[in-house]
Amino acid sequence: MADNIKWETDMDAAMALARAQNKPVLLDFFNPG
Amino acid sequence: MDAVTYPDAKVIRFITENMIPLRIAFDAQPLSTDFNIKWTPALITLDVDGKEHHRTVGFLAPEELIPSLLLGMGKSYFETDRFDKALGSLEKLLEEYPESDSAPEALYLRGVCRYKSTHDPKPLKEAYDQLNAAHPSSEWTKRAYPYRLL
Repeated sequence: MADNIKWETDMDAAMALARAQNKPVLLDFFNPG
Repeated sequence: MDAVTYPDAKVIRFITENMIPLRIAFDAQPLSTDFNIKWTPALITLDVDGKEHHRTVGFLAPEELIPSLLLGMGKSYFETDRFDKALGSLEKLLEEYPESDSAPEALYLRGVCRYKSTHDPKPLKEAYDQLNAAHPSSEWTKRAYPYRLL
């Protein structure tokens, strides 16, 4: 198991993964500070 | 979220196994405008077509984030007419996180999913009875109030 969350940072790439794996997307809008 | 919730082992496992995690800076355009982002953290559940089904704003502890994500998955499946998958997410939420802030809405939505699956109104009344017993002050108990008459 991963020891951290492997965040995607590109919307199109994340959506392609979502379709390929048939999983919903968790989209986190964050403040990088 | 970075200090407490995202490093949590259960959170890492849940997100890795069940979702595609995507992080975008709050001011990144055009997405910030497209999603009307005004405060962070804003956590949004999207389906595979990019449609939004669930949103929370503000910090969530690990024991609240996972049920909130399960609720988001349940709503995503419900709103795309996949009631069996919706019920799977909602049952898991209610079994593992019955005291979470997401539980009342999950109880309500489970009743609606069961009704939509069977066209039997009994699950709606059961949802009200369960809400009234476990969460009498919840807004979801108020929303289910008419179902007591079914």
